[in-house]
Amino acid sequence: MAHAHDSSQERPAILDKVRPAELPRAKLILNDRSFHWITDKVCGIVEEPTPTWWKVLFVAALFIASFTFVGMAYLVSTGTGTWGLRSPVGWGWAIVNFVFWVGIGHAGTLISAILCLLRQKWRTSINRAAEAMTIFAVMCAGLFPLFHVGRVWFAWWLFPIPNQNGIWPQFRSPLEWDVFAVSTYFTVSTLFWYMGMIPDLGAIRDRAKTWWRKAFYSLLAMGWRGGNRQWSNFEMAYLLLAGLSTPLVLSVHTIVSFDFAVSNVPGWHTTIFPPYFVAGAIFSGFAMVLTLMLPLRAIYRLHDVINQYHIDNMCKIILATGSMVGYAYATEFFIAAYSGNAYEKFAFINRAFGQYSWAYWIMVSCNVITPQLFWFKKVRANHSLVWIICLFVNVGMWFERFVITVTSLANDYLPSSWGYYSPTIVDIFTFFGTFGFFSVLFLLFIRFLPLLPMAELKMVSPQADPHAH
Amino acid sequence: MSKKVFEHPVAQAGETTGPSYWRSLEERNKTPEFRTRAEREFVEGASAISTVERREFLMLMGASFGLAGLGLAGCREPRNHTLPYAKQPENTIPGVPTFYATSFPGESANQPLLVETHQHRPTKVEGNPSHAANGTASSKFAQASILDLYDPDRAQASYGANGAQLSVAEVRDLLRALAASAQSDAGAGLAFLARPSSSPTRARLVAAIQAAYPKVRWVEYTPVSQHKAARALGAQVLPDYAKARRVLSLDRDFLGAHDGTVEDTRAYSAARRADSADQAEKMTRLYVVESTFTLTGGAADHRLRASTSHISSLAALFAAEVLTQSGQASEGAALKAKVSGVQVDERWVKECVADLVQAKGEALVVAGDHLTADAHRAVFLANQALGAAVRYVSAPSSSALSIADLATKPAETLVILGGNPAYDGPADINLASAVKAAKKVVRLGYHGAAFDETSSQVKSVGGTVIASSHYLESWSDGRTVDGTYVPVQPMIDPLFPTFSELEVLAPFAGLTKEPFALVRETFNALAKDNSDHAFAAWLAEGVLADSGYAATPPRVTASEIKAFKAPVLSFDALEVRILPSVHAGDGLYANNGWLAEAPDPMSKTCWENVILISPKLAAKLDVEPEPMLINKIGQMNRNINLTVAGRLLCRVAKVTVDGVTIQGPVFIMPGMADYTLGLQLGFGRTVAGRVATRVDERLAGRVTGNGFSVYPLVASAASAYRPGARLELTAATVPVCNMQDHWSMEGRDIVREGNAEDLRDNANFAKLGIDGHAPAVYGKDGTMSPGQKAITTPRGNSAYEHPDHSVAPNVAVWKGHESEFLPLQQWGMSIDLNTCTGCNACVTACQSENNIPVVGRDQVLKGRNMQWIRLDRYFFDGRDNAGMAIPEDPQVTFMGVACQHCETAPCESVCPANATVHDDQGLNTMAYNRCIGTRYCANNCPYKVRRFNFLDYNKREAGHYYEGPLGPAKLPKDPADLPQLQKNPDVSVRMRGVMEKCTYCVQRIQEAKIHAKVRAKNSADVKVADGTLQVACQQACPAGAIEFGDITDPNSRVSKAKASTRSYGALTYLNTRPRTTYQAKLRNLNSKMPGANRVPLSRKEMAGREGHAAPHGAVHTEVHGAAEAHGSKHPSK
Repeated sequence: MAHAHDSSQERPAILDKVRPAELPRAKLILNDRSFHWITDKVCGIVEEPTPTWWKVLFVAALFIASFTFVGMAYLVSTGTGTWGLRSPVGWGWAIVNFVFWVGIGHAGTLISAILCLLRQKWRTSINRAAEAMTIFAVMCAGLFPLFHVGRVWFAWWLFPIPNQNGIWPQFRSPLEWDVFAVSTYFTVSTLFWYMGMIPDLGAIRDRAKTWWRKAFYSLLAMGWRGGNRQWSNFEMAYLLLAGLSTPLVLSVHTIVSFDFAVSNVPGWHTTIFPPYFVAGAIFSGFAMVLTLMLPLRAIYRLHDVINQYHIDNMCKIILATGSMVGYAYATEFFIAAYSGNAYEKFAFINRAFGQYSWAYWIMVSCNVITPQLFWFKKVRANHSLVWIICLFVNVGMWFERFVITVTSLANDYLPSSWGYYSPTIVDIFTFFGTFGFFSVLFLLFIRFLPLLPMAELKMVSPQADPHAH
Repeated sequence: MSKKVFEHPVAQAGETTGPSYWRSLEERNKTPEFRTRAEREFVEGASAISTVERREFLMLMGASFGLAGLGLAGCREPRNHTLPYAKQPENTIPGVPTFYATSFPGESANQPLLVETHQHRPTKVEGNPSHAANGTASSKFAQASILDLYDPDRAQASYGANGAQLSVAEVRDLLRALAASAQSDAGAGLAFLARPSSSPTRARLVAAIQAAYPKVRWVEYTPVSQHKAARALGAQVLPDYAKARRVLSLDRDFLGAHDGTVEDTRAYSAARRADSADQAEKMTRLYVVESTFTLTGGAADHRLRASTSHISSLAALFAAEVLTQSGQASEGAALKAKVSGVQVDERWVKECVADLVQAKGEALVVAGDHLTADAHRAVFLANQALGAAVRYVSAPSSSALSIADLATKPAETLVILGGNPAYDGPADINLASAVKAAKKVVRLGYHGAAFDETSSQVKSVGGTVIASSHYLESWSDGRTVDGTYVPVQPMIDPLFPTFSELEVLAPFAGLTKEPFALVRETFNALAKDNSDHAFAAWLAEGVLADSGYAATPPRVTASEIKAFKAPVLSFDALEVRILPSVHAGDGLYANNGWLAEAPDPMSKTCWENVILISPKLAAKLDVEPEPMLINKIGQMNRNINLTVAGRLLCRVAKVTVDGVTIQGPVFIMPGMADYTLGLQLGFGRTVAGRVATRVDERLAGRVTGNGFSVYPLVASAASAYRPGARLELTAATVPVCNMQDHWSMEGRDIVREGNAEDLRDNANFAKLGIDGHAPAVYGKDGTMSPGQKAITTPRGNSAYEHPDHSVAPNVAVWKGHESEFLPLQQWGMSIDLNTCTGCNACVTACQSENNIPVVGRDQVLKGRNMQWIRLDRYFFDGRDNAGMAIPEDPQVTFMGVACQHCETAPCESVCPANATVHDDQGLNTMAYNRCIGTRYCANNCPYKVRRFNFLDYNKREAGHYYEGPLGPAKLPKDPADLPQLQKNPDVSVRMRGVMEKCTYCVQRIQEAKIHAKVRAKNSADVKVADGTLQVACQQACPAGAIEFGDITDPNSRVSKAKASTRSYGALTYLNTRPRTTYQAKLRNLNSKMPGANRVPLSRKEMAGREGHAAPHGAVHTEVHGAAEAHGSKHPSK
C-alpha cells in the first residue's frame, strides 16, 4: 500500500486543471449506523420472541415439505413409473429440478468467495443469507439425482467404497463426477458458511440470557473469544476457503453441464454448455437471492444495510448474466446451422418450433427479454417490480433446464422412437414440496442463526476506518 | 405323496350294478364259449408252456393278458401316466433343454414346430427345420401360442348343467350317454359345430361318426375362411414364390395373414435376395393390388390401391389382359367384356401384364381367398397362359355343412367344439336361439363360462362346458399347407383335467381308444412304413416325408365365368374390408398378451383395433391433425393422426352397413384405397379373460372391452368385405394405444435404399448421407474387414481389462502350446432390410425367449413397452410438400432395431455404476444386479433400444402396478402363477428399477460355447461352428433377414452379409461402431409403370432435405483413394 500512497503524492497536474468531480463511493451502510446498532439489529432477529408470521410460515412450509417426502416414499415403494418418465425421455422433472436447485445454489458461494477475492465489499450485506440459500438449495438438489434412480437402496454404489465384489464406480461417467462435484461443493460451502458465522455466533452467545441458549450457541461458537490471534487465523482461513471455493463455483455447474454435454444427444452435445450453465446458474442464483432478500429486508427493516446500491448491483449482474444466457441461446442455433449436421439442426429448430415450443418461448421471454428491463434505473428502484422480474427469471431458468433436458430427448436420432413427456401429479408434488423443504430450512436459519454477518458489516462500515477522509 | 396305483381296483358294489358294458356279442349273450374263455386261468395251450421257448412264452402271456381284459368288462379305460423320475433317465440333464417336434394347428394347415422344454415344461416354440419349406421359422401366432398354455384364465375344470364340477369320469359318462341316446334316431337330433382342422385323425373320427349316425350333422365354421379358391377350382393352389420372378398379388396378403405365410415368406424372400446389380435385376418383382395396406403391399415394388369389392373385377381385367397379350386375344376380349363398373389406370394393367408376360414361365398371379369364385377362375386362366409357377393339389374334401344349417334347423343335441361362435358367428345367423333350442348342449372350450362368450351362453342354457386341452398337452396330427403329415404331440401332461377334441369325438365314433392310439392308427394308414420305428422317427422328425397332397388338375372353363359387376363406391357408399387382426386373429388369440402388445406392423397400434380410413376420406371428414409451426416451415412432416402430449387421439366414428352400426376410433392410414374402411376382427369381447379386457389404471376396477367388435358386420355370405357402408363421426375422441408416433424418417440416412441401377453405378451406394461425410472412424484400420477390426482396433469401454486370449501366458507349462491360444470369436449381426417384411415374428420370439414382460395397454400408452426388438416403420411418398401433406400412396420400409452392440458403446461410458460393460466377445452386456437405474444409458443410446422397468411388470399384474407393496402380487386368485411357468430358466427375470435390452441371446451363446468346449475335448478348437448358434429373432424370421455369428470368421454367413456392398451401419458417424449392421433395401421398379421413380422415395426425400443424399463413392468413407470417383451420378432433385 505504500506504493499507492507515494504515487498519490505525485498527483498529475492535469487533475488540478480539469478538477474532476468528487465521485463519492456508494455507502454500504446508510444513516451512519453504529456498531452497536448493527449488533442489536442482527442479534435482535434471533433474540426476539418468535413472531407469529414465522410460526404460520413454518407450519405451512412443513406441510408443503411433506409433499416431497410422501412423493418420494411412494416413488421408492412403487417404482419410477409413478413419474411421467417413458421411453425415450429417461430424465424428466427430477433432473430438471436438480439442475434448477443446483443453479440456485450458485449465488451464495459466488458472493462469498469470488466477490470476496475481488474485494466487492457490498457482498457483506447479503453473503450470509445467500450462503444459507446455497446450502439449502444444494440439499434440495441432492434429493433428486438420489431418488430418481430405479433402485435407490443401491445408490451407495456411486461412492467409491471398497467392497468385497471388487467393483468400483465407473469414473468415466459424468454422473459419477456429479457425485464428487456436488458433494464437494456442499461440504466446502457448508464449511465456509459455518466458519464465517463463528464470530457472530460468539456475539449471540455472549448476549444469551437463558442457559440453554448459552449452551447452544457456545457449542456453535467453538470457543470464539475474538482475540487478535483468533481474528488473524480466522481471516486467513476465510481467505483460504474463499480461494478454495472459487473454482468450485465454476466447477460444479460445469460438471452438471457435462451430464448433458458429454452425451451424444443432439441438443445436449455442445461445447458451449459449461460457461453457459455457469452463467445461467449465477443468473438464477442472484434472482433467488433477490427473491428472498427483498421480503426479509422489508420484514426486518434492513434498509440501512441492504440498500439500493446492493439491489442495483444484483440487478446488474442479473442483466449481464441474462444477456450471456441469451447470447448462448443464439450461439447454439448458429453452431447447429454451421455444423451442417441434420440431427443438430433439427434439435434446435424443433426446440423453437416443435412440440415443446411453448416451453422454449417461456424460457426465452423470462430469461432474455424480462431482465432487459434492468437497464432502467427506475425499474431497479421499484422493488416490487424487481421482485416480480426475479420470479420470472426463476421460472425461466427452470424452463431452460426443462427445454434442454426434455426436448432433446423427446426427438433425437430415430424418428420412430420420438415421444412426448409430461409429468404426473407425483412429479409435480415432489417438486412443489422441495420449496417447502427449502423454506423450512431457511426459516430455521433466520430464526436461530445470524442473518447478516455482523463482523463483516462492521468492517465495511465507515466507523471501521477512522482514517478515511 | 401316495404312490400311484396302477392295478385295477376291486369292483365296488355300485359299479357292478350300474350299466353293463360288453365288448363282444359272445359276452352279451353269455355264450358258454365266452364263459369258458373268460374263466380259464390260462389260454388254451398254456399248459404247453414247458415245451415253448422264451419268445413264445412271452407271446402267449401277452395274449392272455389281452384276453384277461375282456373278462373284466371294461369299467375303466387304461390311462397313460406321465410320471416324475424315480430314477434319472438317460439323455435328460437338468438345465439342458429337450426339444420335441409337434405342430401348431391352424385352420387349414398346421405349422411344424420344435418345442423347447425344460424338465418337460414347454417354454419356447421354434420352427421345425425338418420341414424344408418352413425351416426354423415360425409365425408370431405359433410363437405366442405357448403363452396360451399358461393362460391363467383357461378353463381348469369341466362344469355340468347345474354348475357342478364334473370329474373326468363323469364327462366321459356324459359323452357316452349322449352317443348312446343319439343311436335311437340315427343321429338326426345330433349336431356338431367345429372349427375346420387339417387333422386326418379328426377327419377319420368324423367319418366314423357319420357312418355310425347317418343323419348326424357336422358343421364347420370359421369367420375367416381360406377355401374359396379351392372350392372354385376343385383344387388347392400352391404358388411357388421361390420360382416366380414376377408376382402379381390381387388382395392376397401372402406375407401377412394366411395359413402358410411362413413358407411363402421364406420362398419369396429367397427369391428377393440380391447383392449384385445382376442379381438385383433378376430378383422377384412384386405387383400388389389391394385395398388396405398389408405387409404384402409393403413389400410391393408397385402397388395399386383398389377397393376389395372391385378387385374381383380387376382380377378379370388382369386375366383378360394376360390372355390378350399372350396370344389369346379373343378369349381375353370375351373375359374383358364381362367386366363392368370398375375404373383403373389402363397403363398400370397393361405394363404390369406386359412385364408378367415377358417373364412367361416365371410369372405368377395370386388372388386373395375372399375374392369371388369367378375371380379365382380368371386368375387360373391367367396363370395357365403365363405358365405360372404354381401347383394345384387335391385338398381333403370336406363334407361339412355351413353354420346357416344349424340356425335354420336347430339340433336337439348340440356339441360345440372349440372356436367361439357366440362371439365370432355371422351376424345374420341366430346361433343363440339354436343353442337355446337344443335340449342338450356340450361345449368344449379353452375358456370357461367366465371368460368366453360361447361357454357363457352354454352355461346359461344349462349346458355342459368341458375344459379343453392345449395343443401342447394333447395328441393329434395335421397337415402342412403342402399336405405333409405332421404330428401334434404333447409336451406335458395336461395341467388340468381337460379334454382334447379327439377325446370328445371318440366316444361318438364308438371308440374307446386314447388319442395316441387313434393318431397311431391314422399314421399306420397314411405311412408307407408303419413300423414302430417309423412312427418313432415321425414323432422325432415331426414330418412324414413324401406325404404331401397329390397333384390334381383344376376344373375350370372360361365359359362358366359369369359377369363381374363392381359396385359404385363413393364417400357416401364406402366399403368395409374385414380382416383378422394381427393381435387376436379372429378372436382366437384375444387373451394372449404377447400378441396384444405386438404392434400392428403398419398402423403400429396395439391392444385395440381401429377403423382405418384413407387420407382422402380423412380430408373429407376433416379429422387430420392441425399442423405445428415446424410442419409449416417444412422442417418436420405433419403427423398423420392427431397426437396430443404423446398420445394418439382418434375421433370415434360410426360405421353403418345395411342398418347395422358399429363404433370405433378412426385411424388415418396412408395407402388405403380411398373408399375402403379397414376393420380388424378379434376385439370387443364381452366375456373375456384379463388380457382381452381393458384395464384402466386410473379407474381401478372399471373395465371395458378391448377395442370394438366387427362381427355385427360379418354376414355369412359376405364376411371379408361389404360395400354400401357409411361413416359418421361422433363428437367423442379417445386415446389409442400405439408404439410409433411419427411416420417419416425426415430425410435422414437411417434406412437406405437403392436399386439395380444404383448397384451398377456405384456398388457402395449404401454409404450415403452424413455417414458419407463423416471422418473415418477407424483411422488407418478402415480398410480392414469387420472381423479384423473387431480383434485389432481398440474398442471396449469396460473399466476392466479383458485378458488377451490370443496370447499364451508366459508360464512354462504353456511353452510349445502357443498355437492353441486363438483369438476369441466376435459376435455380430446383419439385418437385411431387403427381405424383412415386418411380420413381427422376431418381436414375439424375443419376448418368449427373453422373459420380456407384457406391460399392458395403459403402460404402452405411457410409452413404456418393453420389447427388446422393434420394427420401425417409415413411409415415404417422395413429394416435396414442405411437411404438410399426408402420404396417400407411400412406399414403406421396416427396420428391425435391437441393441446394436456398439464397439464403443455410448451407454457404457455414462453408466456410473459399471452396470453395462463390454465383454471380450464384443457383447454390450447388462449386469442387472449392478444396475441402479439412472437411465443415463438409455438417454445416451442413439438407437433408443434400452428398456427400463419403470414398475414391477414381472411381479404385479396390469391394473395393480401403481399400488406398490400394498397391491396384490401377480395373479392372486390362481392356484399357480401360471404364466411364470413359461419363463425361460436361462434368463433372469428383471425387477423394477433395472434397465434391460437385447443381449444377442447371451444364454444361447453360452450354451453354444459350452457345447463347443464339450465337443472339443482336449483339442484347442473350442470355436462355435457357424450355423450351430441361432439367436431367437434370427431363428424365427421367416424371411431369413437376420444373420448372426462370428465376424472374425470370413466364411461365416454374417461375415459374408457384412461384406456385402449393401452393408452399412446406422448412425455410424457417431463412432458407435455397431456390431449390428444393415443391408440396404433394394427396390425392383419397372420403369415403364406409371409413377415409377428412378430413385427410391426415401432417397428422394433425403436429397430434398439435405441436398446431397447421393451415394458418394468411397471418397469420404473409410477406403480412401478407392477406385470409385465422387458419386458418379447424383439423382435429380
